[in-house]
Amino acid sequence: MTRFLTSEDVRRANSRVIEVDEGTIVTAQAQDTAREAGIVIQHRSGSSYAEPAPSRGPDASLAQRSLPHLPEPPMEGELQSFTGVVVTAAGRNRPGVLSEITAAIASSQASILDISQKVVEGYFHIVLMVELPPGSGFAQMKSTLECMGGPDDYVVRVMHERVFRFMHRV
Amino acid sequence: MPFTDREILETVRMIELETLDIRTITLGINLLDCADPDPESACEKIYTKIVQHARNLQAVGRGISEDYGIPIVNKRIATTPISFVAAASATDDLVPFARALDAAAKECGVDFIGGFTAYVHKGFTHADDALFRSIPRALKETAHVCSSVSLGTTKAGINMNAVARFSDVILETARLTADQGGLGCAKLVCFCNAVEDNPFVAGAHIGTGEPETVVNVGVSGPGVVRAAIAKLGPEPDLLAVAETVKRTAFKITRMGELVGREAARRLNTTFGIVDISLAPTPAAGDSVSDILELIGVDRTGAPGTTAALALLTDAVKKGGAMASSSVGGLSGAFIPVSEDAGMIEAVRVGALSLAKLEAMTSVCSVGLDMVAVPGDTSAATLTGIIADEMAIGMVNAKTTAVRIIPVPGKGPGETVEWGGLLGTAIVQDPGKFSCAILHRRGGRIPAPIQSYKN
Repeated sequence: MTRFLTSEDVRRANSRVIEVDEGTIVTAQAQDTAREAGIVIQHRSGSSYAEPAPSRGPDASLAQRSLPHLPEPPMEGELQSFTGVVVTAAGRNRPGVLSEITAAIASSQASILDISQKVVEGYFHIVLMVELPPGSGFAQMKSTLECMGGPDDYVVRVMHERVFRFMHRV
Repeated sequence: MPFTDREILETVRMIELETLDIRTITLGINLLDCADPDPESACEKIYTKIVQHARNLQAVGRGISEDYGIPIVNKRIATTPISFVAAASATDDLVPFARALDAAAKECGVDFIGGFTAYVHKGFTHADDALFRSIPRALKETAHVCSSVSLGTTKAGINMNAVARFSDVILETARLTADQGGLGCAKLVCFCNAVEDNPFVAGAHIGTGEPETVVNVGVSGPGVVRAAIAKLGPEPDLLAVAETVKRTAFKITRMGELVGREAARRLNTTFGIVDISLAPTPAAGDSVSDILELIGVDRTGAPGTTAALALLTDAVKKGGAMASSSVGGLSGAFIPVSEDAGMIEAVRVGALSLAKLEAMTSVCSVGLDMVAVPGDTSAATLTGIIADEMAIGMVNAKTTAVRIIPVPGKGPGETVEWGGLLGTAIVQDPGKFSCAILHRRGGRIPAPIQSYKN
């Protein structure tokens, strides 16, 4: 059960200091009411009130325990030890496209595991399998790469390897 | 490489060109512990609890989208039916509860919050009565709140008193939001066999068997299914079509499963269900109607449409059921008329009548959805339309819904523009014959016998 302290509770309180349990949620309105009336709301320990973390309910911890054990489509070989990233690019072919993209990947401290490129009638598509070392930012690499090229040049898309594993492996 | 180029490009194409996306991550929040004899205190608790739980919902959704490269369109909130929560409060006016939901949705940055809901399939409590009275003003005065009611179930039958009252609620809501083309009714839906874990608005709410908090995910991909059938071409037989839809639905659902697990992990809560409904948007190509036409009818609404839709809905469920053990919600094909460019066109050219639409709802996953009727439609006619739809759901033991908008000041054939996701509608003609006596009788349509299936 969630315990609340409402503005009505504050109004009824006959004291300048209201003590609440660590788990009690003081509503926004109760905080306003207390502030206006000069009433202090604090925890029983004496520390000033801080909103508790949301209590997600009795099932949540069970779910958190079982989620990692839900079977996932298997990773193949070398992919097991790091974050795999799939980079695709497509657009009009011109000299230097591949080096631009690979340079950007290198600047993100990522290394390329596999690469495939095809050119058909002046248009290229490149698929790169990239290894992102632990601790380096996926979001940052994604934004760097996806800002490259342009509408008349080429577009890059960066996706997590897990998406492809879920979609194409059972 | 662990994946072939073809696999990788297929996924990229689905997202880039075929508008595959996670339509919604919906956080369900139980509000029963917010009940309070003082309605003001109850509203304070509701606001505070929702904000506390959903404050980081947008950020988590954005984070998953960034980390996986998957578009996640909406983040939404579903709550316990407000009539349960408000029952403890001595008040006949539940509009403040709607305002509390609205303010919480705004604070959390979500576009819709579902849960201004009552279950009245057997009868009304005082709180249900108050909720019915409050719906029109609640929908007028709030921007983000969606309302839904359960009017019938296969086990209970159809509460025709409630159906008749709901018709009045619809008309009053349309009247109060007349300056917006009756838009309030787009946030108002009634159900037979309401689903208690539906992540999609306007019917989103969490039922009484649901946990304290739960993440439900709605995934959508009519564009992907459409492209797959287009690629198959007109020659292969229907078994091949079903197989193609099934395989495609499998892949779409897998993405939903991945996002559902990840969202539950990051929000530190329970993963509920993936709803694998094909939910169209007004965007080009993101159309269920296009799929039906590719399966082989000239226009949606032509003879053969119901059969094509039956195949589609079933194949989506089968593909989804293999891809996730948590398939739930409505899962099938949505046919919201105003939100699907192909459906709008079908109405415009006269292919899709209200009668045919009703037939289609017996095999789709929801019901009469986003249908515009003239503003002067009588309560009796609305009662008839709703009762017909509820009967289809009741007898077939499936969920059916009605989201119907009597557009003030508009007659059959006229167009109404709601904009955004709600799209454009052409007002449909419910016919000149009504059902005044049926409407007046009220009472209950008893639950159907389900043993003698022959």
